[in-house]
Amino acid sequence: MPYINYDKQEIAFKIVYFGPGMSGKTTNLIKIHEILDPQKCSEMVVLDTEEERTLFFDFLPFDLGSICGFSVRFNMYTVPGQVQYEASRKLILDGADGVVFVADSHPSKREENLLSYQMMTENFVSHGFDPVTYPLVLQFNKRDLDQVMNISEMNASLNKGGHKTFEAVALKGQGVIETIKEVSKQIVTRFEI
Amino acid sequence: MQVHHNAKEALDKLVNDSECITALLISREGVSIEESGNTGYLNTTALAALIAGMFTATREVARMVGEEHFSILLQQGTNRHIHISLINETVMMVIIFEDYQRIGKVRYEAKKASEVIANIMQPEPEASVEKLNVAGFREYALNLIDRIFDKPQG
Repeated sequence: MPYINYDKQEIAFKIVYFGPGMSGKTTNLIKIHEILDPQKCSEMVVLDTEEERTLFFDFLPFDLGSICGFSVRFNMYTVPGQVQYEASRKLILDGADGVVFVADSHPSKREENLLSYQMMTENFVSHGFDPVTYPLVLQFNKRDLDQVMNISEMNASLNKGGHKTFEAVALKGQGVIETIKEVSKQIVTRFEI
Repeated sequence: MQVHHNAKEALDKLVNDSECITALLISREGVSIEESGNTGYLNTTALAALIAGMFTATREVARMVGEEHFSILLQQGTNRHIHISLINETVMMVIIFEDYQRIGKVRYEAKKASEVIANIMQPEPEASVEKLNVAGFREYALNLIDRIFDKPQG
């Protein structure tokens, strides 16, 4: 359920980028900020630590425009990927209207991907999200690495729900817009008051 | 007793009486609901997201030590300070001020404004909920998403 302010005629949807540490969640937001019309994206808030790891969350607001007299915005957040920040992830997922799961395609990241995916689905249950109908898109990132897992293997491991997937090289902006577009459409399609 | 017609009026009065720089109402979702005072120096969208995150994290800390929540957060800087208080379960009030000697006045005015705003903030009436045509909204939004996200791809 998005945030709706009838007095100010505003609707804000919340999109959360989930995934293991260093899988490219913040990079997705940075590229969205670079690629899209700068007038539609406000300043991005990045809370990286010195090791370029997100400590709490990153935040990027994107103004979709005026619809039926309402000013509509997508607020995009990343969660910290490291296992020890489970409390932060749970807080950030609260009230999310849709999620992008960013997986790392390198074979050495198989277990980390799976662990993060399991933590995400456990969080879905605790927040009362229906994992079948909830807006969720999977992004298989870093497809330009020398060694990558094949797509069918990643699907078998992470996508038992048959959600829409995209291959990406987020650092180069590839697959980033396709991913945010798909999750946005799923969110709007499911929108109810 | 003065009657406030809306939350903005109450915030304006708070800014005037406490002599703070800025006052905002922020939703639990991290959205700025109302703003008063000088906001030109401030990215209120980002601030709202960060404050909401901070407050939610603090609530979890409160629970860890056996409290339901901490109703007031105070951040003291060198020149500017932030006073954050809970209005209700979903709204918080942020006051930015400069003279720390005025903290007593800020707290006093914040408490008065909180009570007024809590009374004003009622659930949306049924009539206003019906103002939005959901089917029309969905169709227009999907078209807009296509137009916006297809554009940078050439």
